[in-house]
Amino acid sequence: MKAASQLTRRDFLKTASAATLSALAAGRARQVRANDAEEKIKPTAHTVIVLWLAGGVAHTETFDPKRYTPFEKGLKPEQVLSTFPAIDTAVDPIKLTQGFERLAKVMDRGALIRSYTAGDLGFILHSRHQFHWHTGYAPPQTVACPHIGSVIARTLGPLNPAVPAFIDIGQRFDVGEGEELKAFHTAGFLGSEYGPFLIPHPNQAAESVRPPAGMTPGRFEDRNKFYRKLAAASPVGRHGSEYQRESLARSMDNAHRLLSSPAAKAFDLSLEPRESVQKYLPEGFDAAKLSAAQVRDGSYEAQTVGRFGLGCLLARRLAEVGARFIEVTSEYIPFLNWDTHEHGHTRMVAMKQQVDGPISQLVLDLEARGLLDRTLIVVASEFSRDMLVEGKPDNIVKHQVQVPDTITDIKHYGMHRHFTDAGGVLLFGGGIKRGHLHGVTADERPCRTLKDRVVIEDLHATIYRAMGISPKLAYEIEQRPFYVTRDGLGKPILSLFA
Amino acid sequence: MNRITSLLLLASLFGASASAIAALTSEQIARLPQPAARRVEFSKDIKPILQGTCAQCHGRGKSKGGLRIDTRETFIKGGETGPAAVPGDSAKSLVVELVSGFNPDMVMPQKGSKLKPEQVALLRAWIDQGLPWDKDVFFGKIEPLNLKPRRPAVPSAAKGSGLTNPVDLLLQPYFAAHKTKPTKVVDDRAFARRVFLDIIGVLPAPEELVSFAADKDPRKRERLVARLLADNERYAAHWLTFWNDALRNDYRGTGYIDGGRKQITAWLWRALHDNLPYDRFVAQLVNPAPDAEGFTKGIVWRGVVNASQTPQMQAAQNIGQVFMGANLKCASCHDSFVSDWTLADSYGLAGVYADGPLEIAKCDKPTGQQATARFLYPELGAMDPAAPKAERVRRLAEIITCKENGRLTRTIVNRLWAKFMGRGLVEPVDEMDGKSWNADLLDWLASDLVDNGYDLKKTLARIVTSRAYQLPAVGGSERTAKDYVFRGPVVRRMTAEQFRDAITLLTGIGQAKPDAKVQLPAGVASNIAVRASLLAADPLTTALGRPNREQVVTSRPSAATTLQALELTNGNTLADALKRGAEKLMGGGVGGREDGRELIDQLYLRALGRKPTADELRLAQGFVGKPLRAQGVEDLLWAMTMLPEFQLIY
Repeated sequence: MKAASQLTRRDFLKTASAATLSALAAGRARQVRANDAEEKIKPTAHTVIVLWLAGGVAHTETFDPKRYTPFEKGLKPEQVLSTFPAIDTAVDPIKLTQGFERLAKVMDRGALIRSYTAGDLGFILHSRHQFHWHTGYAPPQTVACPHIGSVIARTLGPLNPAVPAFIDIGQRFDVGEGEELKAFHTAGFLGSEYGPFLIPHPNQAAESVRPPAGMTPGRFEDRNKFYRKLAAASPVGRHGSEYQRESLARSMDNAHRLLSSPAAKAFDLSLEPRESVQKYLPEGFDAAKLSAAQVRDGSYEAQTVGRFGLGCLLARRLAEVGARFIEVTSEYIPFLNWDTHEHGHTRMVAMKQQVDGPISQLVLDLEARGLLDRTLIVVASEFSRDMLVEGKPDNIVKHQVQVPDTITDIKHYGMHRHFTDAGGVLLFGGGIKRGHLHGVTADERPCRTLKDRVVIEDLHATIYRAMGISPKLAYEIEQRPFYVTRDGLGKPILSLFA
Repeated sequence: MNRITSLLLLASLFGASASAIAALTSEQIARLPQPAARRVEFSKDIKPILQGTCAQCHGRGKSKGGLRIDTRETFIKGGETGPAAVPGDSAKSLVVELVSGFNPDMVMPQKGSKLKPEQVALLRAWIDQGLPWDKDVFFGKIEPLNLKPRRPAVPSAAKGSGLTNPVDLLLQPYFAAHKTKPTKVVDDRAFARRVFLDIIGVLPAPEELVSFAADKDPRKRERLVARLLADNERYAAHWLTFWNDALRNDYRGTGYIDGGRKQITAWLWRALHDNLPYDRFVAQLVNPAPDAEGFTKGIVWRGVVNASQTPQMQAAQNIGQVFMGANLKCASCHDSFVSDWTLADSYGLAGVYADGPLEIAKCDKPTGQQATARFLYPELGAMDPAAPKAERVRRLAEIITCKENGRLTRTIVNRLWAKFMGRGLVEPVDEMDGKSWNADLLDWLASDLVDNGYDLKKTLARIVTSRAYQLPAVGGSERTAKDYVFRGPVVRRMTAEQFRDAITLLTGIGQAKPDAKVQLPAGVASNIAVRASLLAADPLTTALGRPNREQVVTSRPSAATTLQALELTNGNTLADALKRGAEKLMGGGVGGREDGRELIDQLYLRALGRKPTADELRLAQGFVGKPLRAQGVEDLLWAMTMLPEFQLIY
């Protein structure tokens, strides 16, 4: 079967500029006229892929190795900075931790920020920090804040009109904090046209761009043809043009085009050769058992392992056909996945296994297809973790995990508190320097940021800059400007750009 | 003491101040920020500076030092120390001297943060460029608009017009002025469909339409409206959606996880069902019993919160927006740049709900000043800021709902008008500082509400029995054009809830149990348990515009979007309902299996309130097959529910 990557540009054009047309119809939030301070920026990327490691990833266990202390009974928590030894990477001064062997090999394609520090939001709630990361604003807010993907969708529009501009892969909302997650998986006041196209299960993605279950393509076409005839025959269809009716008709046309577009094949993972699927799955995981990845039974990665990898594979396919903004999440479920309140070390081993291969494979695949230069990959999490410090060393917040004075059980060996004074962010492609390191953290606890601190406004400004968007860009809501970085204050980290 | 003596006294006491009047030295001029090198725009560049920095002491009726910046003329004229500006010469302009702070004893502004060099540069460029000033910008004292009640006289009917509804009588001069001759009203079927959807939220049953059409009583439309308004359960189920949006009450949502939010569903249901008079409705939300306190308690997320989003500030913003059409969001961080609301106004209202002293923060930084509890419009009544909280809140409810508060009533009648007509008498509906396109009509509807004991159903009846409401629908646009002329209700789109309820009526498929915790009277539960307003959001209703109610929502966007159409075209919720609905229809209930005619007739009657035309019947018959195919019926249902005639309210 014809793979998505083989589809021609002409195929896409045939599917018409669906989303663009409807965007014209929808009541759009008005862009505030660029002011002098807002410079014209030449984009270095046309697509963003955010790979979201939800739940808080301990920097000392992953991207920022510190003194390694192997497990033994009787350890004092204050002795333990990292439960993994450091490993070399393709770039001499950059070290990662054990478990990231494949990422280490592609470190020469990207940059590593070690000084990301999360906001001071008080007593920690993961979803609130995730809201802050994804919108740049801490809730509650007086207006519904748009997700960064929606801002990009609204500002730049779809890259390929037949592919939704903002696609979100891997997050379900019937989980703990599901309502809080919903609150930022939205275009907010920008309007639902720019909202995320949600794909909770990557291997079921095809269903979201296919006729309803059980409906053959032939029947789907017949139904649509019949609808058109019926609409034309309806007496109200006859009298003059009218805004509401046209908006409705156009949206139906668009949907039909998207559903019957050749680009829709990009959503279908079953079209991907088995051996290439296997590259995105953890070692020893049988691609034939993909259906297990749909199941959630209250345990964690044993059941969901593979979904993140498949999400990365889907992201690659969608990037190939011209998606604008894609997010793939390892999925936030309270106390599961990266949210390690106990068994931190053991679970970290499994979580690394889940992401190490897919992330590095995505980098390599995009490179092989000549797309990495125009695709910015951002690997991030809402904050870091530490064994002792909750919050920041000089702004300690109420802790949520009891840490024993002496570690006698392996379940206490790991980073179980939420640390917001350092954190790793990986950036690949899209005009970012290769083999570059940004930020310095202390070698002793608290392993906090010492130099080149990066806050969310600046990280967003950097992403926006790569996409040619000013951090001072604003949209008007209720007669006031809403800036895409808080108060327009975001400063792109220029030293990250090649 | 008159001004001159006071100035002399000042000058003699503080020798330094006299030097402020002296021109800047050339060395000082050289140190001034250079004028911005571009053309300044008054409304964008200068107005915010004047509004945010100067107006507090020199505008809105205040004239410290004799200076009023009401207009360009008064600004230039200056105060006791002479002209404030020399158009064309910023270096010689006193205002530049004062804001640049060379003389620490005479630096402006005296309160708050000093101007940044960029702002001084803009001011200089503005003065150098001749001090352009938009005519409609006025910083003087303005009587608050739409505040005092006013009861305009209702004109008598033009001869032979047959008009009796005051709404129409008040519109006569308007139509005449716009050279509009209202055409005849819509037919019975269109009228019935409108009022069913607008008053109780559902489509009329075919039998209803038949008997309505057959009714020869000239007053049958009034009678139908009265009957629908008396249908308390269905009325409540419909209006629950509107008020849930406005009061951001939802069955699931953020905040509940930490006990930081409270539903008011049970209270709201009762209030709507029993048609609680609007003044008491508002009073019970402002000064709530435990079952209604969710509205003023707001949404609290775990962790620390920005000063502008504390529960008290949320209460102030939401009371201001929902009941008064006053937007306090800007003024929750700093004095507003787009309206006259100040930080002190917002904090004054928030202070009513504070448990202790409430410190004012500007852009999240404490100012050291304490809020003085008061309502937005002191002219409506005084409050003792030192009284205990319970007393302040009680007094606030009393002030807001007093008969002198014409803003409360104008705000709600305008919302109702906008809901039925697709556009408000004032737009946006949350900015009641704006002018109405027909002040007499707005003011009369508001005073009529008071005369009727704040009975909203009476206002509804006034509007929907008017000829204005019964005019043929006109095509609208998403944007609210400035040159809008009322010619009849704008074509509207069904809400997510109306659509879902219509599908339920058409297919008999819906959720059996409500997600809302409401006390339904025995016997009616089975009828309304499946109303969409009582269900939590699902992908279908979300796609169709049901908001997540994290913020106050008083009007939903009506444009169709692609993601919406995708959900309608291949989403599970609708596909499942249509599939099961078709099976149910095939299983019995509707006859006409031979050629589908009876079934098609029935579906058209139920969905569109009419029989199919010969063309439509032929098309549909050809499609559903002979004998009927279940898939054919399912796809017919889909096609019919996608029709503009089904989804739009004409």
